[in-house]
Amino acid sequence: MPAHGKDLRIIIVGGGEVGFRTAQLLDERGHDLVIIESDPERCQKIADAYVATVIEGDATLPDIFQQAGPETANVVAALSDDTLANLAVCMIAQRLNPDLHTVMRTDAETGEAHAELVDSVIYPQRASALLAVNAVLSGDVRSLEHAMGVLDIAEVRIGADAPAAGKRLTEISFPKGCLVVSDVDGSSIAGADTVLEPGHRYIVAAEPEVVQELMRLLRG
Amino acid sequence: MAQVGDRSPAAKLGLLDATMVGMGAMIGAGIFVLTGLAADIAGPAALLVFALNGVVTAFTGVSYAELASAIPKSGGGYVFVREVFSGPTSFLMGWMLAFAYMIAGALYALGFSSNFVEFVHLYWAGLPTGPVWHIVYALVVVGLFALLNAVSTEASGGAETVVTIIKIIILLVFAGFGAFAVEGGNLEPFFPGNRASVSLVQAMGLTFIAFEGYDLIATVTEEVENPRENIPKAIFISLVATVAIYLVVVWVAIGTLGADKLGRAGETGIAEAATSFMPTIPLLGEGAALIVFGAVFSTVSALNAVVIASSRVVFAMGRENQLPNPLGQISATFGTPLAAVVASAAVMLVSVLLLPIEQVGRVSSLFFLVSFVVVNWSVIRLRRQRPNMTRPFEMPLYPYIPLLGIALNLVLAYFLLRDDPFTLVLGLGWVAIGGAVYAVLEWRRPRPEPAEA
Repeated sequence: MPAHGKDLRIIIVGGGEVGFRTAQLLDERGHDLVIIESDPERCQKIADAYVATVIEGDATLPDIFQQAGPETANVVAALSDDTLANLAVCMIAQRLNPDLHTVMRTDAETGEAHAELVDSVIYPQRASALLAVNAVLSGDVRSLEHAMGVLDIAEVRIGADAPAAGKRLTEISFPKGCLVVSDVDGSSIAGADTVLEPGHRYIVAAEPEVVQELMRLLRG
Repeated sequence: MAQVGDRSPAAKLGLLDATMVGMGAMIGAGIFVLTGLAADIAGPAALLVFALNGVVTAFTGVSYAELASAIPKSGGGYVFVREVFSGPTSFLMGWMLAFAYMIAGALYALGFSSNFVEFVHLYWAGLPTGPVWHIVYALVVVGLFALLNAVSTEASGGAETVVTIIKIIILLVFAGFGAFAVEGGNLEPFFPGNRASVSLVQAMGLTFIAFEGYDLIATVTEEVENPRENIPKAIFISLVATVAIYLVVVWVAIGTLGADKLGRAGETGIAEAATSFMPTIPLLGEGAALIVFGAVFSTVSALNAVVIASSRVVFAMGRENQLPNPLGQISATFGTPLAAVVASAAVMLVSVLLLPIEQVGRVSSLFFLVSFVVVNWSVIRLRRQRPNMTRPFEMPLYPYIPLLGIALNLVLAYFLLRDDPFTLVLGLGWVAIGGAVYAVLEWRRPRPEPAEA
């Protein structure tokens, strides 16, 4: 049975660059994270960053994977650089908890081959390539998903019973360092009188320190 | 025009700040309010009471350090237990811990009003006094700090560091002057009466609350710099420093006033002791005024700390959907966990109104003892369930430390309850209410929403 908390509980397998950075971003948004990583030195480094509980070991061993608490988790993201291991982890996860949302990192040769077996497939090399295209063209417009920097620019759906739902922007006390840019229709830039309608999507920008608070206001 | 926020986010806390969070919550209530009570029961052996309590609580401190370094979440004991135990156990832990903080708040508020009356009377005799007025002052101060925390997050920031350092300085001034006035005769006989050991353990249970506070460091872990190193350090430094300060202060208080007089003075014991030896200080007039001021100041800052602590536990439970939804939401108007603060303050106000001060101390100590048992147990369970978890601070002498922590906390709880069925009834009553709340929430639980980040 999945956790009933307001924040998601996410298991990340592989604490390399991709897994660790993913964990950092999710932690900034206030979610609970467990990372499974086999390299002891890497484990210490992740523990130092204080973004996730760390389990040391091979996640494809059910004995190790169990320790991350799949029965109370909402999502498992297998992000190691070993595609077969990632697939194995997703299969084990689904077996242990059929409600788990599974995310699998894949590589160039495998591509979308496993898309049917898991909920989402990601391919970091392709994302990097898109980023490289952005940089090479150095245009004035950059796609949101690939913005670098520290600012988190995101599209947020307002939660039905979130504190900010149904309120005008002026009525809400936002922390310093965040900005509601627009509603997603693109029809207008947000103003003081913009109302945050529950269920609708808005583009927001925030500095890392206040992302969690902003999400709590907008998502509940 | 887009909407820009203007509220400052919380600042980062260094090792000093984190240590002061713990010391600020510990020093204040216990030492000013309960020294008299301890002397009343145990005589000069009150010194031993405080020393032994320091040892007992250190075991749990080690457990807190291991959990806080491995589980990167703010929220303190409840959050750790939530990580390890099933729904009902973690609910009960949060329920008890929140109540322990709330009722500690009632104790600090009542301690505040006695010392406040004393302080004002030094300058103006016209302040109305009497049992009813004491309760009125206590209610006002709880209301005031609830309001402060409801509308602003500033009260929980680094300002606590300055406040705590002032408290420590005042106590050191007290000890410094008092040390010259100590009469050795006052410390003898060290063990009064023939049931010395029993009264010792009883007094330990009663004053245990004076050692509650280092656990608050675990409620702010995510705001601390380099937490995996600084949190265990802050827990140990704050415990050791606090025990040292307590011992000096209790030694001076008993040595100057004598255990009997100290016992009769009750919650204003330290202030009374100061009156006997403090020299005149320019501007303040009587030297004792400084100490009484210290008592007022300390109870207020400890009160602030538990208002924050209890509301954070309630908020964390709301976020885990273990309490009704609004309690886990921040207010859109103030950016604070408004509903959680109001709920905590409401319980504090009712406790101030309905319970006598000694009872308040007992119930609070009882719930801390029981919840610390669960914290120690969590360490053992987590080691078994997740042997491969990375533990940046791994306690030595496992499993003896948590096992001793459990045993000693249970012994103190037993002696606390042995001659006091009322505390037991109150405690069971609160647990029963919790059981009912849990059952209703489970029954009404909506189906979980589909995952959406």
